[in-house]
Amino acid sequence: MIWIGDVLVSLGEGGVYNERMLGSARIWEPYRSKLAAFYHVGKGVELVPSLRVLYLGAANGTTVSHVADYCEVVYAVEFAPRPMQDLIEVARRRRNVIPIMADATRPETYAPLVEAVDLVYQDVAQPDQASIAIRNCVFLKPGGYLILMLKTRSVDVRKDPLIVFDETLLALEEAGFTVQESVWLAPYHQDHAAIICVKPEKPGE
Amino acid sequence: MQSYWFGDVSEGRCSPVAVDIVAIVNRVLSLSTQMDAFIPPDWQQAVSCGVCSDRADYLVRLQEVCITAAERSVREHYAGKDAELLQMVRTLDEMDTVINLLSERAADWYMVRHPAFSRKYRRTPSHILVRTIREKSRGALGKVAGEIEQLAETRTALAKEVSARANDVMPNTSALIGGLVAARLMAHAGGLLPLSRLPASAIQVLGARTALFSHLKTHTPSPKHGIIFQHRRVHNAPRDLRGRVARVLAGKLAIAARLDYFRGITAPEFLEQAQNSIDTAGKGNGL
Repeated sequence: MIWIGDVLVSLGEGGVYNERMLGSARIWEPYRSKLAAFYHVGKGVELVPSLRVLYLGAANGTTVSHVADYCEVVYAVEFAPRPMQDLIEVARRRRNVIPIMADATRPETYAPLVEAVDLVYQDVAQPDQASIAIRNCVFLKPGGYLILMLKTRSVDVRKDPLIVFDETLLALEEAGFTVQESVWLAPYHQDHAAIICVKPEKPGE
Repeated sequence: MQSYWFGDVSEGRCSPVAVDIVAIVNRVLSLSTQMDAFIPPDWQQAVSCGVCSDRADYLVRLQEVCITAAERSVREHYAGKDAELLQMVRTLDEMDTVINLLSERAADWYMVRHPAFSRKYRRTPSHILVRTIREKSRGALGKVAGEIEQLAETRTALAKEVSARANDVMPNTSALIGGLVAARLMAHAGGLLPLSRLPASAIQVLGARTALFSHLKTHTPSPKHGIIFQHRRVHNAPRDLRGRVARVLAGKLAIAARLDYFRGITAPEFLEQAQNSIDTAGKGNGL
């Protein structure tokens, strides 16, 4: 990751969402982007130019644009039409963003478009976040990473976020993932946790 | 065989589909993949298919297809008759908020200029007060009051349009509860399709989010009604019957929303029967 002092940045064409610049580098604001927050509070996965990324819950393409600055290609899945309009605009200016308007709970609708990827990044406001991640890991290469941004309030507002967190970790481990890192994103984002898993080299072992 | 956006791959051999982008997009949007036997596409297969020359070209072609497909999906989503109605209702509700806020502020400002003025014991409706402020105030305050009146006029016109549009888009729901409230229900659900998929119990408490969550979390009494309280048959019902009327009405609304989405025309028989049961519920004798 590229840091200028203690500021996380990415290198690419600016002006996507009026982000502040540091010289010619785009500031990647942790209060705004959960992934940026993750790099501040945890270790994260080093983004490198060879990475192919599947991004679930792409929204307006804010974080997507930063990930695209670091990686080879980003398959950006978003379901809602309003943010999709913005995402398409980002894709027009960034040749390595592939916008897909589809429901992340139904990978069968976009499977013919998405190649095998090195990283699945998921940030969706859905109750069944673990199962969405597991279903989308058909696209993940063995040894590839899953970054799950767990919105505990979307899973169940009545439940204690800590319990939701533990249940999600358990579900991911039962599905064969090895949890590598898990942290809460406070103080940047409340009741959000980030979980990094690795897909086993040979499935089923 | 695996079907990908660029063609079908079977036993290592790739047969390309159309070259034309519209045809490719049509195919992509219609494909449904069996996930248990799925193998992700490989750009080299696309090269052997003759669809692209190298990796960079693969991504350029794929992006073109995906942008075209996404643009079409967005357009189709907005083509529904409810899409604009939804924006109209939300604008209407936000205008109400703005008008109220500005009126309160203008009144406070006016009271500073007229220390002896008070609204107590005066039953002056807010719009009359705003008119008085406009007539009696110089400078910006008078202009602000004038703007509030303009806004209120636009709001009235918009409300009529919302009502008329709702009668057209959701005839059955509107017949039961009135165009305005029907449109508000639709807007809260996020569209006509989501509304038609809601169970009656959810329709009953749409718009009572705070009360519902406080009930779920801390066992306060459950809300009896949300937006549907705005309908006269709910708020005019005797207090002890309101819950019942709201429940029966919500049940009929759930059916009406489904009729509206799937049929799109009035169902007179259903409406008559529904009106009867709602009336019966409001009279307090058994159902």
